[in-house]
Amino acid sequence: MIKRTTVSLALAFAMGSGAVATANADVVDNSFYPYKDGTPSADGLTVGMTINAANADQFKDILDPATYEQLKNGWWEMKVAETTSFDLYPGYVDATRASLGQVSLGDELGQINGFVAGRPFPEEPSADDPRAGEKLAWNYKYGYNWGDSAAIYPFYWKYRDLESGKVERTLKFNFHFLNYKHRVQHEPVPEFADNPSDLFRAIYVQVLEPFDVKNTQLLIHRSSDDQTADNTWLYLGFQRRVRRLSSGQITDSFLGADIMIEDFEGYNGRISDMNWSYKGTKNIMLPFFNHNDLELATDLEESDGYQFVDFGGKGGCFPNITWQLRKVYVLESDPIDENHPISKRTHYVDAQTFTLPRTLVYDRKGDLWKSWLIGQAHPDHHMEKNKGTGVAIDDAFSMLDIQAGHCTTGQFKGQVDPELNQVKIFTVQNMRAKGR
Amino acid sequence: MRNISRILTALGGTAVIAGLGSATIANAQDEKWDTAGFVENATFYRDGVGISKSRNTGQFEFSKDFGRKFGMNSFRVSGTLRATYDAVYDLNDDEFGKNAGGSRSFQNFGSTTAQAIYGGNGNSPWGQSILGNGGPPGAVPPGFLFDVSRNPNEGLKVLGEDMHDPMGGVTIGVPVRPCDKDSRGCGLKDYMDYDTNDLRFPEFNDHLDFIRELYVEGSVPTGDMSEWFFRVGKQQVVWGRTDLFRVLDVINPVDFSRHNIYDELEDIRIPQWIASAEYRWGATEIFEDLNLQAVWNFDEFRPNALGQGGTPYSILDAGSFFRAMNNCWENGCTVSNFVPAGAIGLDDPGLIAADFAPGVIGIRKVNLPDGHDQGGIKLEGVYKSVGFSLNYYHYYQQLPVLRGDIQSTNAFTGEVADWSHLIAFDIDFPEVDLFGGSLDFYLDSIKTVFRVEATYTQGEEFANTLEADLYSDSDVFRWVLGVDRNTFIPFLNKNRAFLISGQVFGQHLLDHEVEKAPLGDVGMPDWEDNYIMTLLVKGWYKSDTISPQVIVAYDYEAEAGTFAPSVDWLINDNWRLIVGFNIKFGDGMGDQEFDDCRTCNPFPPFTATPAHADPLQSGSVGLSGIQPLGRFRSGPLGSASEEDEFQVTLRYRF
Repeated sequence: MIKRTTVSLALAFAMGSGAVATANADVVDNSFYPYKDGTPSADGLTVGMTINAANADQFKDILDPATYEQLKNGWWEMKVAETTSFDLYPGYVDATRASLGQVSLGDELGQINGFVAGRPFPEEPSADDPRAGEKLAWNYKYGYNWGDSAAIYPFYWKYRDLESGKVERTLKFNFHFLNYKHRVQHEPVPEFADNPSDLFRAIYVQVLEPFDVKNTQLLIHRSSDDQTADNTWLYLGFQRRVRRLSSGQITDSFLGADIMIEDFEGYNGRISDMNWSYKGTKNIMLPFFNHNDLELATDLEESDGYQFVDFGGKGGCFPNITWQLRKVYVLESDPIDENHPISKRTHYVDAQTFTLPRTLVYDRKGDLWKSWLIGQAHPDHHMEKNKGTGVAIDDAFSMLDIQAGHCTTGQFKGQVDPELNQVKIFTVQNMRAKGR
Repeated sequence: MRNISRILTALGGTAVIAGLGSATIANAQDEKWDTAGFVENATFYRDGVGISKSRNTGQFEFSKDFGRKFGMNSFRVSGTLRATYDAVYDLNDDEFGKNAGGSRSFQNFGSTTAQAIYGGNGNSPWGQSILGNGGPPGAVPPGFLFDVSRNPNEGLKVLGEDMHDPMGGVTIGVPVRPCDKDSRGCGLKDYMDYDTNDLRFPEFNDHLDFIRELYVEGSVPTGDMSEWFFRVGKQQVVWGRTDLFRVLDVINPVDFSRHNIYDELEDIRIPQWIASAEYRWGATEIFEDLNLQAVWNFDEFRPNALGQGGTPYSILDAGSFFRAMNNCWENGCTVSNFVPAGAIGLDDPGLIAADFAPGVIGIRKVNLPDGHDQGGIKLEGVYKSVGFSLNYYHYYQQLPVLRGDIQSTNAFTGEVADWSHLIAFDIDFPEVDLFGGSLDFYLDSIKTVFRVEATYTQGEEFANTLEADLYSDSDVFRWVLGVDRNTFIPFLNKNRAFLISGQVFGQHLLDHEVEKAPLGDVGMPDWEDNYIMTLLVKGWYKSDTISPQVIVAYDYEAEAGTFAPSVDWLINDNWRLIVGFNIKFGDGMGDQEFDDCRTCNPFPPFTATPAHADPLQSGSVGLSGIQPLGRFRSGPLGSASEEDEFQVTLRYRF
């Protein structure tokens, strides 16, 4: 990495233009620190106020359409907080700087050239660039979403009826994420040595409760080659057997939730599975907050005193959090597979973190089907171990099936802790060992 | 639950400290025992029979990770306790309990003599055969007489009567009451000798089966990716990638008496005391995942539980056959249609039943292997996204084989010898070597997962009426191809795909023998090649709380199948209700006949038929019937053809 940085600087000098170097620095700084010169504002919007049915119309322009409808309908109320900077880990920013200008798209969808680490395309997207959406998608894929590795340990999902508020099911999981390549923080950097199938990332999921799905485990291996299909395995506790999953199950309800595996983290699939379109840049309200400043749930006990984000509003489908006005890139993805159960997703990509805190999912007829919210907590206001990690902590989710009047909510205990995500747990054999 | 957790903590702590020395709970990874369990009632109603199961089950699972102990990471203690009370033996004791069976008569097919003696349909009562106690006093050899006062005509069924008419073939009387109510046919020590309470409470036995699992495990890291992993205790070790039927998954025997083949293998594998050690390389330069497992089953051998005569689930009805035959050996028995009336000098074109004295025909004893020497190895991994395994396992055949090389009494002369082609057996479980492998892979182009298993075994034994001892061994090649695809069926559910899973099982006996004889085929009743197909279609509605499914299984050669639709309703996190049917279709056991050894001429020349070229030479000339060997051709589906059921299961989880 040092070598690449040196080369980059040398090239800059060789071009004899300090202005270019400055411009490059600005590109990176603008991408990672969009609020360094000030935070966005909107008419009438003040910190501490509440947006609800009475004033939703006033703020329609800074709300995504689904959020606007929900507030307008009085399903919940939005508490407005100060816009704060979610600085990503410096090593990730440095890696971006080092690779600046060296990354390009391949000829085909799902191909990228010259990428080492960091944010592949930190430049502002241009409406004139027909592949701007694809570049944003790569920025998400290689984002610092959970850092080099992290665990949600544990993770509660509740299935709720929007009308009655009845909690139909409660599932308890452990989720683990590991990047094999493009690592910037924890050893080995930048990648693991033994990686024969050239994996980029793995996700391992273990179900702890309830009894009927206990010991169910999910393992996803994502290749560095985006055009290679994921390998996905499911261990069924009642069968004591690892079953390989077909991609049909990736786009299907996961364990009866309103979420499909492809929805994990906002989008959990390949770049090459979708057509990507950049639809503009704007400032809208996003669920970014300080976990420790919230009124937290008291119904789920953790021995270390950790409390989860609480839920309320209609049906208990909405997290009791605060929202910030933030810069977003509007990104649309529509599936290449004609048999895919959705027609498109509209992602509201947080420009600073490249997380996907808001996504709207449309059914095959083009009607709004689901409203997908992933609340982002600042790591410095979360668990002690997360401080300084530069990871925007996924801290609460709500997948609202608007058509079915049903939602699945998620309460996270996200931990950026390499010890919880040792590489050996991301194997098929580990599923057999963890199972009974 | 907290009390249970405290008790377990105390037990675990005590066990660890007392047994292993240095453990401390203070640095345990899990602070509490992970506990869960359920209570369940499964009530099944069988057409024409009534309640066939009213099983009440309580199961409790516990596990705790003690963290680093004894040089191992994640030292864990896990266990599963299960207790069952099947009330069917009380609720339907006319069929399956103390009042089951009754007096029975046995067919004398086409016999004018029998018609004249017994009237009606000409059937003769148990122990009153023309060639037997019903014959002229003093004229019948002792080998055809048994003491009816010790072996009375009560509590009996005719072998196969629930499935088919005798149709001129042999049948035997089967005592069907639990062994404490009727000890006849219960003389096979520790094999199919269950009393009422053994049947009511199947886990409470000498094997302590209420401890379904109890094991310790831990890993020893050897690198970032690699480690040793050890697990010792009573456990299930699962090999293979198939559902419903087993090809590689042979380490634990299976309890088919619980619900034939239809319960999850998880619930019917018989846990064994096993030690396993694995070396996990993890990802290597070549393989995405690689591990080598060694398994040693140091428990005493246990065969598959097949159910005993008089119980609701007796796969292949083998339990009835064995019990009937053990009663023949110990107490004597009546066998229908066994002898041509003309062979004993009657001017009669028909067949007549015969009474056999004890020690002439039947099953003498069971020889359960006493070695603690079953074990094998498995190399498993992932290479270029293809999951694979290579397996070797040395074990004892889990299905019984009848070996005819025992000493028995010539019914005509009283001489004791090892008679060739005589249906007098011991039950054995030969040693088998299994070589196998498996694959799974996903084809993205057709969105389909493929599963493949294949095994080659040496040492398995099968019935064979060509052989003097009526069995022979054969190498066997088995394979299965499984295909799984998730498919949207929009008119049924536009939001959730259905799982469609199909499997084809193949079996080829490499040393299969069948020959044409004057009256029919002689040799091995098992098919040389056979195929069983299964299909599962499963859907989910209402957040997966309602899940309808259909299972279809079809045996190609038996031309018999099962259609099992059901709906699984998760009422909430605690309650679950499953309602379903299990309907059989196609041919039943009555459609399969094979050489029944009536014409085996075991006591030449007395038992020779006109079809025997040399009346002094034993050997079958192929007269066939449904019993006893047609069951091998009917298979588990065809032999259960009369077991159509409506099934309700209600479970409460905690």
